[in-house]
Amino acid sequence: MRDGTERRARSRVADRAWRGRGVEGTTRAPGWRPLPLLVPALLWLTVFTVGPAVVSAIAAGTDKTLISPDFHWVGLDNADTAVHDPSLSHAVRNTLLYCVITVIPAVVIGLGLALAASRLSRGRTAIAFALFLPASANLVAMSVVFAYMFNDQPGSLANTVIGWFGAAPKDWLGDTSTALPVVALVGLWRLTSFIFVVYLAGLTSIPTSVYEAAAVDGVRGWARVRRITLPLLTPSTVFVVVFSTILTLQTFETVSVLTQGGPLDSSTTLVYYMYQVGFTGSFRIGYASMLALLMFVVIALLGMGGALLGRRARRRLSPDETVSDVDPMRLERAVTA
Amino acid sequence: MSARSLGRAPGVGGRWLLLAVGVVVALLPFLWMLRTALGPAQSILGLSANPLPSSVSFHAFSVVNSAGGFTRAMITGIVVSLVIVALQLLTSIPAAYAFSWLTFRGRDALFGVVLATLLIPPQVVAVPNYVTVSALGFANTRVGLALPFAASAVAIFLLRQYMRTIPPAVLEAARLDGLGTWRTIRKVVVPLTMPAIATVATFSFLMSFNEYLWPLLEARSPDIATPPLALARLNNASGGVPDFAVLSAAALIISLPTLIVFALAQRRLVAGISGSGVDA
Repeated sequence: MRDGTERRARSRVADRAWRGRGVEGTTRAPGWRPLPLLVPALLWLTVFTVGPAVVSAIAAGTDKTLISPDFHWVGLDNADTAVHDPSLSHAVRNTLLYCVITVIPAVVIGLGLALAASRLSRGRTAIAFALFLPASANLVAMSVVFAYMFNDQPGSLANTVIGWFGAAPKDWLGDTSTALPVVALVGLWRLTSFIFVVYLAGLTSIPTSVYEAAAVDGVRGWARVRRITLPLLTPSTVFVVVFSTILTLQTFETVSVLTQGGPLDSSTTLVYYMYQVGFTGSFRIGYASMLALLMFVVIALLGMGGALLGRRARRRLSPDETVSDVDPMRLERAVTA
Repeated sequence: MSARSLGRAPGVGGRWLLLAVGVVVALLPFLWMLRTALGPAQSILGLSANPLPSSVSFHAFSVVNSAGGFTRAMITGIVVSLVIVALQLLTSIPAAYAFSWLTFRGRDALFGVVLATLLIPPQVVAVPNYVTVSALGFANTRVGLALPFAASAVAIFLLRQYMRTIPPAVLEAARLDGLGTWRTIRKVVVPLTMPAIATVATFSFLMSFNEYLWPLLEARSPDIATPPLALARLNNASGGVPDFAVLSAAALIISLPTLIVFALAQRRLVAGISGSGVDA
């Protein structure tokens, strides 16, 4: 299993077989045979994912509320409402700000930590475990803890720390200028850990022979990071940026526990606004569905763009080119976990 | 171009400093949670940022324990998550096998559709799913908590990626030995796919146990609350005067199962993600 060469050879055979180019021994199945294997999974995905998405898209064209059973077809009225909804544009602005101040630092820090950890000869497992922890944490639990750390009282951890520098206590979650940044800090804390995991996996899959070749050519230090490691990590980077952006666009739990969107909607994110529209006040589920549909379009575009970029990045690293030792299968797997 | 002129990577000292800061920041909320949970009652008026509590007590844990339903929420959360893991493996392993090793018409298109479902945000499907689950009579039940998650596109995708690396000769041998599809899956494919199965099971458990939105909609009665929901309710119920020791104790309790699973699976996870053993 650990023999890289053998594994690469095998995966290439598997790849050819998978593409149906007739490697001897490919299991050929008559038409009905895959059905029992596929039906449970596909049935479930249809009933609980594809179907609901379609229903939601239809509901987006109605004025349905959760209070009244009556509803009417209103066509694109909800889209029109969305365009002119100041609360929505406010929530979108908050969400974009949240994305920028979370994703960019998380990628930089996560990459730095992974590069540092991957070169350790001792203590790597323990350090990796500690850095993995935030990614596995329960967001509600951590939101409760962060709410305590960022309490408005003089004795809270955050206020004690800024007190060392002579600053007056802040009402972190009750102030329009700090509420969103504190929520984003929870996101950053967690996202960095996740990005670290992906990059560490990506680094693990770079064969040492690449570095040995680089050492022969006298490439080391930052030059090695810049000219060899980073290019080889491109698939991981594409995945990390796209996936993190999609994740942060969907921020909900932290807002729900920490601020409920307040104060004065200063920390309302897109999904939290959607929740407010559909499940509080007048329960306008039709309009909420339109918001969901718009979000789906954005996420789908991001996802497909990411998949395309990722494939191009992997193709550039294909075995026939300069970097001959990288197994695209492995990178793909590192990137998709 | 001279490589030297580009400078050198930070030395061992710099790397350790970066990692040390990273580890401290990563662990701080956990340690703060532990320290507060083990300390005396902490109301807003008497907040203290001492790294060590003034006295050690298990008062907070006994409050959480008597706060009705927290133990039950933990059992509900663990059982529901385990059921989801089992169902996802049962549906995903055969599907992943079909997508990786059987040839049939429309396979790649169908797999494309499965992948496309990954782009559907969970918030979009939550409401229609609530309607479906209600119509099936499972609203506000534990069955309803697990029902929508019995299949997983992520699981199918990850397992298929791994299964594709099984040598065709192995499957051919299984066929020559007269093994049918199901026995091939059970005796050959599953053992060879174990690292990926472990990864999928771990992620699936973590995701299910930490799920918040769906239980928030589905589990209306406190009887069947999942741990994150029970904690959120405890948090809201405390209003303006929370006892942070109690909240931290509750947060600690609901973090434990995922931390334990994570600790147990850590090595395997890295192996499953990178497709290789943990390099020495």
